[in-house]
Amino acid sequence: MSRIRKPLIAAMAVALLTAACSDPGAGTTDAGSSAPASWPAETTKLDGVKLTIWAAQNSNTVAKQVAADFSTATGAKVDILTVPDPYEQSVQTKVASGDKPDLAFWQPTASQLTAINAKQNLQPLDGAPFIEKYTPALKDATGILDKTRYAALVTVPAVEGVWYNKEVFAKYGIAATPKNFEAMVTDARKIKAQGGVPFYEMGGEKWATQWWVQVQLADAAKNGLWDKVNKGEEKFTDPTILDAIKKYKSLVDEGLFNKNITSATFVDQGKALLTGQAAMAIQVNTFFSQLQAQSTTAELNKKIGFFPISPGGTVGTNIPDQSNALIAFKTGDAKREAAARQFLSYWLGTAYPEFVKNQNTVSIQTGVETPTTVPDALKANAASIGESVGSMQVLAIVNPDLYLNLANMLAGQATPDKVASATQAQFDQLAQAIGAPGF
Amino acid sequence: MTAKATGRKPSQPLAFLVPAMAIMLVFFFVPSVYNLVYAFTDWSSFKSSINYVGLRNFSNVLQNGVLLGDLKVNLIYAVAVAIFQNLFGLGLALLLEADTRINRFARTMIFIPVLMSALAVGYIFQALLKPAGSVNAILSFFSGQDVSYAWLNDTSWTLLWLTLIHSWKWMGLAMLIYLAGLKTISAEVLEAARIDGVNRWQTFRHVKFPFLAPAVTFNVATALLGSMNSFDIAQATTGGGPGQTTEILNIFIYRTFGQGLFAQATTMSLVLVIVISLMAFPTIIFLRRRERVL
Repeated sequence: MSRIRKPLIAAMAVALLTAACSDPGAGTTDAGSSAPASWPAETTKLDGVKLTIWAAQNSNTVAKQVAADFSTATGAKVDILTVPDPYEQSVQTKVASGDKPDLAFWQPTASQLTAINAKQNLQPLDGAPFIEKYTPALKDATGILDKTRYAALVTVPAVEGVWYNKEVFAKYGIAATPKNFEAMVTDARKIKAQGGVPFYEMGGEKWATQWWVQVQLADAAKNGLWDKVNKGEEKFTDPTILDAIKKYKSLVDEGLFNKNITSATFVDQGKALLTGQAAMAIQVNTFFSQLQAQSTTAELNKKIGFFPISPGGTVGTNIPDQSNALIAFKTGDAKREAAARQFLSYWLGTAYPEFVKNQNTVSIQTGVETPTTVPDALKANAASIGESVGSMQVLAIVNPDLYLNLANMLAGQATPDKVASATQAQFDQLAQAIGAPGF
Repeated sequence: MTAKATGRKPSQPLAFLVPAMAIMLVFFFVPSVYNLVYAFTDWSSFKSSINYVGLRNFSNVLQNGVLLGDLKVNLIYAVAVAIFQNLFGLGLALLLEADTRINRFARTMIFIPVLMSALAVGYIFQALLKPAGSVNAILSFFSGQDVSYAWLNDTSWTLLWLTLIHSWKWMGLAMLIYLAGLKTISAEVLEAARIDGVNRWQTFRHVKFPFLAPAVTFNVATALLGSMNSFDIAQATTGGGPGQTTEILNIFIYRTFGQGLFAQATTMSLVLVIVISLMAFPTIIFLRRRERVL
């Protein structure tokens, strides 16, 4: 008996091992099909079709109304499922184990589309009826990987820049917003000299630390910094990026930031700016959403303003985030795949004017007006997009944990050189994993 | 077959082992083999094909200073947990040794944290230890001055606070095992000691403690090796911060996996398995040898 059993066990082991060597997330759909998909009419009947949308904690209400209206119009059932934070990690893990929704909120940058293996997992959205409706500055700004569109932008992409308290500026005699990074630092020194807190950073929750380095790289990014980094021709440890890290550190050491910089949170940062405890914060749009949740448009217009900043001027750094866009998955079920496309064209079609009004946000379509109730700071932020340059997440092929290394620096656990070398090491490893030449 | 070799007939049919073995195979053996295999591939979230890459992951992981730094944090964490958990457990066992009604109630209460979800424990302590949390409020009340110490944001001491939380959660289990150990000491031995006129400390040092050797073996080994594998409490309280000073290896593995570098994460967990095994054998051999003195 054991004579039969042994080869049987061996065969089983081999079968298991070979099974192990195929990616469970790969599925059965063929990767090569890029034939333009059909785009069903917005209100084609979809009785009995069920769509699932994955959303994060901070985006799970964005699609709610649209989904409900879509259900009424077509008979389809739309479920919005909240995936726990850290959202990107959780989604990648789920997809890796073969679990896929029909649609998901996703950061539409090239590096994040690479991370989700867009070519394999996502439906191409080329030829969608809504593409022509986008305002020219946004049309091809994001959502595209290797010339194929994989993400549908639904709200205006975030721009990294300076959110400031107008009353605090007035109090310390700053009449106009600074015209470049050094001018901003000069203003900051003026505020500090008079006993104020110029900048507020949320080092306790880490992720915003990278904005300080990225805005300093805006001009270099316009001149192709990230292309060189992508080819391995320039490194984080070279002067351009390293100096930006050093500058950030020196401003912190100079005492231009809040005292509790290592433990302060996102919520603390919002409160500090709104109450005038601090004058400025370099942040993205979710920061302003937080302020909106706490106060009225009138109050915000009175108190809060926005200006983009870069070393040589006022170039903003854009960084579309996960709440700005949706991706549609290849699920292998043609009916649901078509329904997912239909949902997107409904959202960015008939439903769009109502959506913009509901969300009280800036419109990204030429034919749809931005509601008058949108706060000025948000309009200023959106207006800076045209001139802006892509962030590391947009222009680099992969997205290393720069923010984490910077937070370590704030906590006194790493020097700027260590931050640069650790980030470069991770960049190399990720670049190698995606098979980028030169790594 | 085995029965024939030893010349003894098993008291139950071997088929009874099948369900247990099947579970072991599916949930332990197969994942372990996968873990070994994937460590030599380039499995990632970025592409669908998985190729053999030899030892590349190992050299990457070892060159990256983070792994060694995290291993150091992990070792400090594990040793501190082993010490505190056993001190607390043993202390409580001695304190609650007598079978009174109050003691029985106290034992139950102390055992409750063992049954709680470690993540929940982590989140509870995160709330308690905030600069504006209850612990500081209590300290402020008694000291009469404003205490705003950031317990979970201290690059030198937070690791220690985490080991205390971990030990607090598991001390009930250590207590239970020490209690069981104390119960096995026969009354005659204790009585003989009493007749010889030894005091309480001597009874403990020369009679009870040597008899507890098997319990020490179990408690130290499980605390040390179990906390090498810890994740939940550190993740829920600090997430590895401040400045990665509490980043134990499993948090790094989790982070790497989340980056889409599945093969590298697998390699690290393989390294962790190897390190734990290297620690386990000498520890257990040493502790077992202690027992032989009995």
